[in-house]
Amino acid sequence: MKRSLVKGILLLVILCAPLLAWAAPTPVTLWDFLSGGDGVRWRAIIDAFNTSQSNIVVNATTLTWGDPFYTKVHTSVVAGETPDVMTYHISHFPAGIKAGDLRPITEAELKSVGLAFKDFNPALVNLSLELSKTYGQAGTIYGIPLDTHTSIIYYNKDILKKAGLLGADGKPQGFTGIDNFTKSLQKIKGSTGLLPMAMSSSNDPASVWRMFYTLFSQQGGKLAANGQLTLDQLDTYGKTAMQAIGDWAKNGLIPANVDYPGSVALFTTGKAAFMFNGNWEVPTVVDMQKKGTLPFNYGLMAFPKLYGTAATWADSHNISIPNNDKKPISAAMLKAVLTWVAYVEKNATAWAGGGHLPAYLPVLNGPDLAKLSPVNQYSGQAAKQVTLEPVSPVFGVGAPAYNLVANYLTPVLLGQISAGDAVSQFKAQLLSAAE
Amino acid sequence: MASISTEAGALTVQGVRPSKKRTPWLTVILLVAPFLIVYAAFLLYPTVRVIMLSFTNADIAGKGSYIGTANYVKLWKDPLFWASLWHTIYFILLTVVPNTALGLIFGLIVVRQKRILRGIVLVLLFMPYILPVSVVTQIYLWVLSAAYGIVNFIFNVRINWFQDPYWAMPSVAFVTIWWTVGFNMLLFIAGLEAIPREYYEAASLDGAGGGLRVFRYITWPLVWPVTSLVLVLQLISQWQIFNQVYLLTNGGPFNKTIVVLMYMYQQAFTRYKGGYAATISLALFVLILLTSLVQIRLLRFRGNT
Repeated sequence: MKRSLVKGILLLVILCAPLLAWAAPTPVTLWDFLSGGDGVRWRAIIDAFNTSQSNIVVNATTLTWGDPFYTKVHTSVVAGETPDVMTYHISHFPAGIKAGDLRPITEAELKSVGLAFKDFNPALVNLSLELSKTYGQAGTIYGIPLDTHTSIIYYNKDILKKAGLLGADGKPQGFTGIDNFTKSLQKIKGSTGLLPMAMSSSNDPASVWRMFYTLFSQQGGKLAANGQLTLDQLDTYGKTAMQAIGDWAKNGLIPANVDYPGSVALFTTGKAAFMFNGNWEVPTVVDMQKKGTLPFNYGLMAFPKLYGTAATWADSHNISIPNNDKKPISAAMLKAVLTWVAYVEKNATAWAGGGHLPAYLPVLNGPDLAKLSPVNQYSGQAAKQVTLEPVSPVFGVGAPAYNLVANYLTPVLLGQISAGDAVSQFKAQLLSAAE
Repeated sequence: MASISTEAGALTVQGVRPSKKRTPWLTVILLVAPFLIVYAAFLLYPTVRVIMLSFTNADIAGKGSYIGTANYVKLWKDPLFWASLWHTIYFILLTVVPNTALGLIFGLIVVRQKRILRGIVLVLLFMPYILPVSVVTQIYLWVLSAAYGIVNFIFNVRINWFQDPYWAMPSVAFVTIWWTVGFNMLLFIAGLEAIPREYYEAASLDGAGGGLRVFRYITWPLVWPVTSLVLVLQLISQWQIFNQVYLLTNGGPFNKTIVVLMYMYQQAFTRYKGGYAATISLALFVLILLTSLVQIRLLRFRGNT
């Protein structure tokens, strides 16, 4: 009697098991590279999504930013063991689409979750469509825009006040135009003895590239047009830009060889007046001030106009679906992924808390963003200065250009090579990498 | 009539005819098959595929068309490949002999200690070896950091060790030796302890005197098999240096520390040129094979005098 009861219960459990699997939420595997201050906000959004409903569970894995991420994505595509969804820089779209790593997304698929091309920042969507036309399937996009992110200046109000460079409105004064900028940096060093601007360069070609590209673009320089490289302006505008950065390093206005965490530490411990960094470290200073561990009053501003225009390096995070020829994404999984994307886009104000400028227009133009402090200190101006990376498989995050920056441009800060030699070798290497 | 002798440590049985039983082929095959299958699948087949890949212009996914020996011609004319070759040779010169010498010295230190002290010294000298390479490189990125490193602080210099075109490779070599000398030390300890004590006692009885003479005429020749083994192992493994360079200098500055495997990695995984990367790795394979064969010959020759 007892034995048959046990058997009966066992049978019941076994029969119910498929029911459990059927009722279990769809697991979505996400790969991202968001490990900066913004990563905290990112994970909060994912957790909020997971708790807000029970049909989908997003499991995020944060991988190393940059070259390793894109290499890993490519090898996973080749092996057929891809994640379901991932973050992706628009600057890597040329290389990624060309390598067959991305799955095109049609507007019809977006409409199934209530999104459309027109809901997003037209600059980003138009660029995306152009890239699709050049490198992939026209009329589709290879990633749904999430944000625009750019380089900004974080400043220490107390140090600037001591140097007499803080205006009546509490904003830095005397930093427009390259000569004023350099003179003011020297004034900070002279009157306070502290480091004028913290900027990382050791083991961090990305930061050197961002400063270089900003100064280059402000003079009107362009490195690519119609999918072709146009590198001649490197010898003129590029040399000027590199000379400026090299001179700053030589005169101790920026550190010559500090790494990324070191540069953030220099600023947040009050040892530097400025920090040149991406907007993704805004949550770091916000959280530190909330906890009372930031020993000064800080401010944020868009990168100043030093040359002809106020262009500033920028890139855009997109949410992309990897291309898997062996196991194409199922319709159910696609729906789950897009549902999550729609949630993230609609809650982009939380992502803007990570310092970024959302790409979803209802949020970008909405009232919440204008009220979001301290992002609103720079967001309006920075949005006007956005200059995305050159469109070419050679440029962009994880592309050969970053490696070449480390080898040929960073040494200028160390005084190991002249600006002129550096840019001409950089140019030669770019041309050979493009073959 | 059978007799057993122990000549030169080998046991031989003389005067016994080998059995005339048939070799049990089935048993042989069954016993050897598992190894052969794994070996063929994971070593032979990929090697053959790499050789085939080097004659194509395939990307990392392996899909490409046959282009004959174009990759080899490109390799021959590629200045960065030759540069990476010289850098690797420079690295080998900086590490193989010093690492072996230091392993021997540490081995000598350890075998001289008694009881507890010996255990402590052994552990301290071996500990770096158990660390994974990423931990070792993280430690040294901080110790040799230009702005915050303790070395720059103590010696009052501002050298950017891993980004200086002159110091980058020696710094990588130093980190490598610090990390791997423990293994060589273990091999030497085994070799040194195999030397019978009687030789040393006889030497001191005969008035051999100073340690240097004893070392030169007794220790060194008797530990020579281990020394030559360590030299060969070191050569083969330093030819394949990649991890430390990738993690410490990433090939910089000015590509001054790029080594052959690092160049292959860049071609394969950053430029997605699988065919060309296969060519580079084959070139390296041939180089390692040739140099280690030459080295074995030379060492054996020297050892016999």
